[in-house]
Amino acid sequence: MTTEIVLMWAALTCYVVATALFVFGVTFTKEKLIHNGLLASALGLLPQLAALGVRWARVGHGPYIGYYEVANGLTLFVVAFFAIGAWRNRRLSAAGIAIMPVAVLLLGGAMLASKTGLPLTPNLASYWLFIHVAFANLAFAAFVASFGLAIAYVIRARSASGTWAERLKRLPAQDVVSELTTRFVLAGFLFWGIMIVSGAIWANQAWGRYWGWDPIETWSLIVWIIYAVYLHVRFTLGWRGERLAWFAIIAMPVSLFALLGTPVVFNSVHGGYIGGVDG
Amino acid sequence: MIRGVLRKVVAFLRSAGLAAGLMVFVGVWSMLATFVPQGDISNPEVAAWASAHAAVEPFVRFLGLHQAFSALLFRLGVFALAVATALCAWQRTRVALARMQTLKEAAIADEASVSAVHDLEIVCDPGLSATDVISRTADTLEHLGIRTKRRGDVLVAVSRRWAVWGSPVFHWGLVLLILAIFVGGLQRSEGLMGVAVGETKPDAPASYGTLRSGPLHDWGRVHRSIRVDAFDTDFRSGNLDRGPTPTVSVLDAGGRVIKKQPVYPNSPLQSGSLTIHPSEFGFAATLSVMNASGVEFGRATQLIDISQTATEGTVPVGALTVSNEAGTGQLSVFATVPMDRVNGQLALPQERVARVSVRASDGRPVLDRVMRPGEEMALPAGDTLRLDSIGFYARLNIVDDPTIPLLYAALAVAMMGLTLTVVARQQIVLATAIEGENGLRLVATLRLWRNVPTNRNEIESQLATALRGDEEDVS
Repeated sequence: MTTEIVLMWAALTCYVVATALFVFGVTFTKEKLIHNGLLASALGLLPQLAALGVRWARVGHGPYIGYYEVANGLTLFVVAFFAIGAWRNRRLSAAGIAIMPVAVLLLGGAMLASKTGLPLTPNLASYWLFIHVAFANLAFAAFVASFGLAIAYVIRARSASGTWAERLKRLPAQDVVSELTTRFVLAGFLFWGIMIVSGAIWANQAWGRYWGWDPIETWSLIVWIIYAVYLHVRFTLGWRGERLAWFAIIAMPVSLFALLGTPVVFNSVHGGYIGGVDG
Repeated sequence: MIRGVLRKVVAFLRSAGLAAGLMVFVGVWSMLATFVPQGDISNPEVAAWASAHAAVEPFVRFLGLHQAFSALLFRLGVFALAVATALCAWQRTRVALARMQTLKEAAIADEASVSAVHDLEIVCDPGLSATDVISRTADTLEHLGIRTKRRGDVLVAVSRRWAVWGSPVFHWGLVLLILAIFVGGLQRSEGLMGVAVGETKPDAPASYGTLRSGPLHDWGRVHRSIRVDAFDTDFRSGNLDRGPTPTVSVLDAGGRVIKKQPVYPNSPLQSGSLTIHPSEFGFAATLSVMNASGVEFGRATQLIDISQTATEGTVPVGALTVSNEAGTGQLSVFATVPMDRVNGQLALPQERVARVSVRASDGRPVLDRVMRPGEEMALPAGDTLRLDSIGFYARLNIVDDPTIPLLYAALAVAMMGLTLTVVARQQIVLATAIEGENGLRLVATLRLWRNVPTNRNEIESQLATALRGDEEDVS
């Protein structure tokens, strides 16, 4: 347990440092600091992966059960998604100023939660669990990426020729940022859809019904509908610019609530993945 | 006139604004529904919420939010959304067909056709040759993420024709999904059936404790029975404790076993459209009645549920009725199995005994005794009640839904369409260099529909820079 916790703190430290580097790099227009922020983000993935590997070996399952594990999995995907994307297109690195704080908050929250390893209940013991969780994590990572870019878009739009426009000048042009935001939303929409579909097939196998309007199921559908509306207003109603960016900014916390908040707020047959009571 | 009105209605239902509005309605309605307890007013949770929120309760009840997902308003919204989705799918199909034709024509475009029809012209640096222009254009486009092929003197980057089908396939998948759910609701039967170990019950409405059956579910065509062969309270498989697990058999009309297996979460028994899952389990006490001569004339099994709130941890499911041999003097028999308690929690009893209570037809208690299997108890009319055995029973969740494969097919189609929408690029880029009155010019046709990593403005400005000429858009 100690090794795992030490590694996890090391990961969190890397992410905090990365966040600070992004903030200073963008604020003082220091390209090197932004680059180092990206490096620190990628570096943090190593101890986090190692910690999760140690835990997997200890508890016998992946990061699926309990707030600590679920938030950890989400953080890992958010940082990896961002690091890979920014590595391939360095101009996106500055979006780390909005993305890495989400990772820090998630992992910081996880570090405050109980770290007791919870056993896999009979209801959760299925290969669908891996598919379902993997796509939930992928979807959330894509939504956070769209959130980060949308924040950058709004900041620049509000400071058309001002200080912040200058600070974020390394990002691609506004219309490209907007297009990228939409593409991340589209990717997240696909992953979230696969998460719902795999969940429905799994529910049918585990409980004999593919959909039961359970609060967690309902909220996952709500998130999908919110992003469907985003795509509709973008592609068919022609929304562009700041109001579309605000849409992406507001939608992401709803997806976070669906993943981490609903099992706490509502009684649900799915509640076990956070509380570890049952599957 | 009727055609005109119909056209307006279709246009309204097809409008993007209505589709977005309906999605917002379904989303907001669903959100509200998660904060309002679901069920009818007899549900204690609903009743408690209603009294705690007396001010809004009439409004909530008027809207039907206590049974939000079967409420008329919600159904109407979903129906309208389904119609809008179908019309949208049709519209997208027409767009896809048109784009396919455009892609087909673009795929065979040559220098003459691009020279004749284009939407971008850039006057090039006089020092550049046609080969330089083509080469620089290819490099610039590649830098922007568009890889071109050279066909003669024309640069070509044209998507494959199937690339345009993502969105229509996704929308048709959704329409198919809604249809599958609707048809499933008409066809599906789902219910809970309690079966004691060793007992066989016909798959018929009378065998179910609770049952929901669609109007098109034809019970007359169901000729099978369900048997529970064994019950293991700690079944292990794959190095994992699967919990209480019954072994279930499905038998055909002739009593032959069609399928038999242990049934536990994530491992249901599937036979055709039938799926059997474990739901709960309890005890099954078998009792028989004998006359004064010791001849047995009745035997029945009492199902007993485990209950956290019951004093001894179990409650009987209904009651058994015992008559004398002549069929008169009815008595009600209730049996429970007292559970053990370990650290305040209910636990299966080390020794299984039954508390058997007998009541007269007016409800008056007649007898109450704790019995072990094999023990007998004299009834007031001279007959004898014997506890034959105490075993387990499994409450099975039995679903018969032939539309599940259709539903899965719809989900697969929708996801394949969505994947195509996300990954497939929809573009036409054709460019060539032509000699004109003002010297060498780059002429190009650009159609950047979906998933192109750049945009028209960026292409135009970068090409203008690369070719060092004046930019002129003729679109």
